[in-house]
Amino acid sequence: METVAELLKRLRPNLSVGQYGKIVTDTSEFMEIGYGDVIRVGGLHYLVLRDETERSFGIEDPKYWIKRCVLLETGDRRILKLVFHESFPLRLGKLTVKCYRSPEKESRVLELVRGDWRFMQGITARDDHANPVRVLEVIRGKRIDEFVAGLEVDHRTYFFEIFPGLFEKFMGACEAIAFLHEHGEKHGDIRRDHLRVESGTERFRWIDFDYTYDFYENPFGLDLFGLGSILTFLVGMDIYHLGELERLGFSDVISSLTSEDFSLLYPNRVVNLKKIFPYIPDGLNKILLHFSQGAELGYETVAELLRDMESAKAQIVKGGNLS
Amino acid sequence: MNFKKILIAVDASENSMRAVRYVGEIVGSSPGFEVTLLHVAVSPDRDLFPDEQVWKAKKQEMQANMELFFRKSRTALIEFGVPSQNIHERYIQSGGGSLSHQILGVQESDGFGTIVIGRRGVSKEEEFLFGSVSNKIVHYAKGCTVWVVE
Repeated sequence: METVAELLKRLRPNLSVGQYGKIVTDTSEFMEIGYGDVIRVGGLHYLVLRDETERSFGIEDPKYWIKRCVLLETGDRRILKLVFHESFPLRLGKLTVKCYRSPEKESRVLELVRGDWRFMQGITARDDHANPVRVLEVIRGKRIDEFVAGLEVDHRTYFFEIFPGLFEKFMGACEAIAFLHEHGEKHGDIRRDHLRVESGTERFRWIDFDYTYDFYENPFGLDLFGLGSILTFLVGMDIYHLGELERLGFSDVISSLTSEDFSLLYPNRVVNLKKIFPYIPDGLNKILLHFSQGAELGYETVAELLRDMESAKAQIVKGGNLS
Repeated sequence: MNFKKILIAVDASENSMRAVRYVGEIVGSSPGFEVTLLHVAVSPDRDLFPDEQVWKAKKQEMQANMELFFRKSRTALIEFGVPSQNIHERYIQSGGGSLSHQILGVQESDGFGTIVIGRRGVSKEEEFLFGSVSNKIVHYAKGCTVWVVE
């Protein structure tokens, strides 16, 4: 069998590698796969550069089952997600939800969304142990919250100049989630860091589809709540916690807030943003209130949410009421 | 609709057993009542299990639990005086989608005049995220009486 050194010499002679590892064809023991190893799946070779990490509460959290790689045949970057089954409690404000990581589900979704730029793209290749290895293309860009945080404008300017465009794009992102639901699939982990704004095109693209849950009566409830949370963030250009309002210069708002103005799941998070920014149109604010403790009725489908967004769109005009 | 034709939607939980006992107390040995225990079985999602064997074992375990629940329910109803021949069990496999709508489908197609369901009492946020079968039945039921037993 060809060694890693021989393989590199043949396929990527100019690629400098600090150490030559082993060629891996069974990825079951993903902890033992590291820098300098080459994963061979689907007839192609992926040189492992490092484990993926996720920053959480300021700490780098390594994801040992996700490998950042170079596809030796082309030189392109790829992310390989190896099989890791786990279930864990996911805390959502007041509630705890049992969450499962399912490689099979992610493979199915990747297949469903092939060629659809609204989602990350990738294929599934089986290794020698029949593990479904997900080979993902890298999306160059920023998380939606980092993208918004990088806009150095005040809220009013943001809301009337930039938000209308973002709102329209976010409607497209919601339509993408509705597409999954129509096909019986959920995203499973709709958060601000799973919606990317692609560099260059500024298209909104969803990533990471491997979470799932055992909800049967309302299987898409969590996805809907995730969409509501991102919309609230986009409207406000940030998240507003009760304890931070004074520091942010909204002291006068505090006395007007009631429990009904806060998020259904996060009791300190203001969702009735019109009380902070009175120029937010009623139609748009009413959508946010569907995710508040005061909501009489929640959305059951993304289609319902989209209908209200479509109605609200007319009131969200670029350049309107800027003075 | 014949209100004496009662459909109890059950899921092997304590709440369901409370609903069964409630029906037993109300109906007792009164004549003309037909009581059907309905379970719409939802297979555990295959995605939640690392392999086929564990998944199949879980399915079998759930079915066995339900059969045991049916037996206990029948015994309880008989103890309250409901004649054995007036107690029926139906185990149907979920066709996917909302359980409440499937239960209402059976109620409508088979002409049940009363639906009974146990409820554990969910918070607003739980209902938003997970849904509530009993609340949806109350909301969508037409042409029948609904008893929600807490």
